[in-house]
Amino acid sequence: MKRVVTGNYAAAFAAMRARVNVVAAFPITPQTFIVEHISEFVNDGIMDCEFIRVESEHSAMSATVSASATGARAFTATASQGLALMHEILFTASGMRLPIVMPVVNRTLAAPIGIWAEMNDVMPERDAGWILAFVEDNQEVHDMVLQAYRIAEDNRVLLPMMVNLDAFILSHTVEPVDLMEPEDADRFLPSYKPEHAYLDPERPMGVGIFTPPEYIQEERYQTHAAMEGSKQVIKEVNDEFAKMFGRDYGGLVEEYRMDDAEVALLTLGTVTSTAREVVDNLRAEGKKVGLVKVRFLRPYPTDEIRSVASRVKAIGIYDRAISYGVGGPAYIEARSALYGHTDIPISNYLAGIGGRDVMLSDIEFMFNDLLKNAESGKVRKELVWINTRGVEQ
Amino acid sequence: MFEVRFHGRGGQGAVMAAQALASAAFSEGNYAVAFPYFGAERRGAPVLAFTRVDSKKIYRKTQVYEPDFVVVLDDSLLEMVDVTEGLKDGGVVVVNTRKKPEELALGENIKVATVDATGVALEVLGQPITNSSILGAFAKATGAVSMDAIEKGIMDIFGNKIGMKIAEKNCRAAKAAYDRTISADGRPREKEFEKKPKWLPDVKELPIGGAGVKMETNAGMIGPGSFLENKTGGWRTFMPIVENDKCVACQLCWYFCPEGCITMVPYDNNRFKKGIAIDLDYCKGCGICAHECPTHAIEMKR
Amino acid sequence: MSIGIKDLPEENLFTAGHTACAGCGAAIVVRNIMKVLGENTVIYTPANCLLVFGATYPHIAWKVPYHHVAFENTAACATGMKRALNTLGKEDTTVVGFAGDGGTADIGMQALSAAAERNEDIIYVMYDNEAYMNTGIQRSGSTPYGAWTTTTPAGKVIKGKELFKKDVAQIILAHNVPYVATASVGYPQDMLKKVEKAKNMKGFRFLQIYSSCPTGWRHPTDITVEIANKAVESGMWTLFEAVDGRMEITHRPKERIPVQDYLKLQGRFRHMSEEQIRILQNWVDKKWDRDSRLEKALKMLDESTD
Repeated sequence: MKRVVTGNYAAAFAAMRARVNVVAAFPITPQTFIVEHISEFVNDGIMDCEFIRVESEHSAMSATVSASATGARAFTATASQGLALMHEILFTASGMRLPIVMPVVNRTLAAPIGIWAEMNDVMPERDAGWILAFVEDNQEVHDMVLQAYRIAEDNRVLLPMMVNLDAFILSHTVEPVDLMEPEDADRFLPSYKPEHAYLDPERPMGVGIFTPPEYIQEERYQTHAAMEGSKQVIKEVNDEFAKMFGRDYGGLVEEYRMDDAEVALLTLGTVTSTAREVVDNLRAEGKKVGLVKVRFLRPYPTDEIRSVASRVKAIGIYDRAISYGVGGPAYIEARSALYGHTDIPISNYLAGIGGRDVMLSDIEFMFNDLLKNAESGKVRKELVWINTRGVEQ
Repeated sequence: MFEVRFHGRGGQGAVMAAQALASAAFSEGNYAVAFPYFGAERRGAPVLAFTRVDSKKIYRKTQVYEPDFVVVLDDSLLEMVDVTEGLKDGGVVVVNTRKKPEELALGENIKVATVDATGVALEVLGQPITNSSILGAFAKATGAVSMDAIEKGIMDIFGNKIGMKIAEKNCRAAKAAYDRTISADGRPREKEFEKKPKWLPDVKELPIGGAGVKMETNAGMIGPGSFLENKTGGWRTFMPIVENDKCVACQLCWYFCPEGCITMVPYDNNRFKKGIAIDLDYCKGCGICAHECPTHAIEMKR
Repeated sequence: MSIGIKDLPEENLFTAGHTACAGCGAAIVVRNIMKVLGENTVIYTPANCLLVFGATYPHIAWKVPYHHVAFENTAACATGMKRALNTLGKEDTTVVGFAGDGGTADIGMQALSAAAERNEDIIYVMYDNEAYMNTGIQRSGSTPYGAWTTTTPAGKVIKGKELFKKDVAQIILAHNVPYVATASVGYPQDMLKKVEKAKNMKGFRFLQIYSSCPTGWRHPTDITVEIANKAVESGMWTLFEAVDGRMEITHRPKERIPVQDYLKLQGRFRHMSEEQIRILQNWVDKKWDRDSRLEKALKMLDESTD
């Protein structure tokens, strides 16, 4: 059934369709509507779950972790400061290998305090052991929440997963979304039956034990291996979803008009969507530009990015966050993946910080800059601050 | 460079001793480091501490595996821990015990020194705290630091922590222990020390997420209820002696035992009479049972 | 008839081999509470001594399922566990959080207050040894006046803690939860009765249990119970319970012993001046008066409005 809904609604609706057992959540702008919609679903009797209206994000993640460790399918959602408050417990979720799913509405992390789109909330959590997916429209929000449970609960994975959506640009924007019927969702997503972590008096187990150095290094290896292994599962789940529902997101990355492209721009989140239009415009002008939508930062699509670099003359990475003293996090990741695999120019474009609109002209600038780099074979400027007063771009 | 390993129990001050030794060596113009075994051991449990001394700056940040000297603060540890593990040939073991060095069979090609540090401490400090006395014994047995330096080390570390007056007393204890320490060549062990096997699963065997799953391993049971594999009886200094004739089966000791190592048992083949049995594999010797027993049926003895 | 020592089963659901210090009050509390609660119980412990002495991988003293996440979230985690069990058809399983005084009075207060307000169906046990013992005896909001801790040392100018013990049980009582009780390791009958009562109720149940700590309080290991007794007999610790807010003092010392008789057994109070002891005695007298007045006011709570 197609309806015109917000990204937040799509996320809440998908959680309902995933038949999550336990939701523990705390409202924060711009995630608030996710919590409100779940409240409505529960109070209207159409969502059968234990809904814990906790007093903080710290407790939200704590209760979610413990519910998952007990053996239930658990869901929460947050943004910005809330994610930062959860930070400590994020590591517990992955360390215990709990397949929690959490939409994160990417918003500026203070200071300065703001409520608009920025990815500096999620970027510090790259090392938390969560699978990190980034989406570009509300349909993808809905589809990824459902896919996330399939990926996270796969025995080869067993890791928590965040579905990142841009503040307001998706969370508060309505667009048509094909909302899944319950029987379709059930067909795609079977119920959760953990074999590795549960708290059941009939089969006692300790989950979260004080552990000396003799064991932790092996545990870390296992988690790293599971994260690597999730790449295959992400592709499989994508393909199965595409076969069942006709929507194919390409797996770890999606390439757009990359066939004979001379330059490629790597994007995260909603800027991907705008960039598609820019690519079409520039293509119409005869410029050979292509787009790579990076759908996952964890696991990092190393092979896919290396393949892109092998086919183009210059590569650029868009970032909506800055790691002070280095550059954009997505750029750091891409450059690291490409080390030793390419000698083409690589440049970083910072735009949309603090929720500033990223315009067609901004993205055009990025592509034209990349074309110049491709032609010269040199990086004109490594870190380009787009549309920043007093800074030459 | 020389390296020292201290064996003690949580609460005996092994770490302070290691630090005072480092300070002592430093006072003689050396570079010295001291550190604990990085754990979360509780009072009474076997613990380790280390001192490393060299004439130049020490860069090595590893634990000590092949010590030149070993210090044992409590001779009951000799049965629980392989105190000579990794000890270099020609190395010295300094043990707080009432025994003579010849009575200890700790291995060949080493020297064994003994001192009744507990006796010294009781005499001088009025308390069985041996971490200062043993340093005097160390100086005498190894010659690695002078007695003067040990006193400086004690004044520095103990003085700063518990006050100068008490530090001075501890110096006197160390000196007394220095005078009473005797050494002898090590005797061969009567039997090899049996090392407890350890469960060290590889990345394929380790349960994912660090879950504590019940299973049998090469090192015994693991998982829920498996702490029984950890015999805490070795922590004990005082032992409960039970006179079941006096027991009225009130079960107070059974209730108050922090370990839960007391069981109510039929006594004297009389089905109406019950007494208690204490599992000494686990008894830490806290003495609560004896203190709470209304009929004084339990007595704590060394 | 309520449960007594002799009714407890022989089997320990918290086994020997645990690594608590000799004479640990908390170990006595936990081991016996588990005998009352039984096998159909799931445990949460935050970061505290119990986390470490109750399990060190791969060994676990608990025979029942056992869970730890972090320090400040006992009530939130226990909530998550209970709600999950509800969805898994195990509504009858008891969920218990065993937190210390630091994890309750201080860092865990926010999650605790929220779970109490939501009347979550869990039992929260605060074992109170009046300082952060796991990290090496630092003061908490529950440390009494005058006590030495490593962060309230007996210095040349300031000797011991200058502030008074926070009354956590009364804070929880103000949340209007079904059951609030205090107990002591020194009063087995009283404690067992309260645990049994809590077990058989629904909703949020809170027990604050005074648990002596020989290591942190600097007392000989054999007088753990005696000290817990003297705490009650001196009025330093009030034994009460409140069912649906109706507060009742469950043990009233015939004549309160001077607080000095309690203090002198413990090294943590050794440095206290006469003036400090007088201040603490005064605090105890006032507390006892307040507790008695509260009992009077709250005992018959809703009879007048029924």
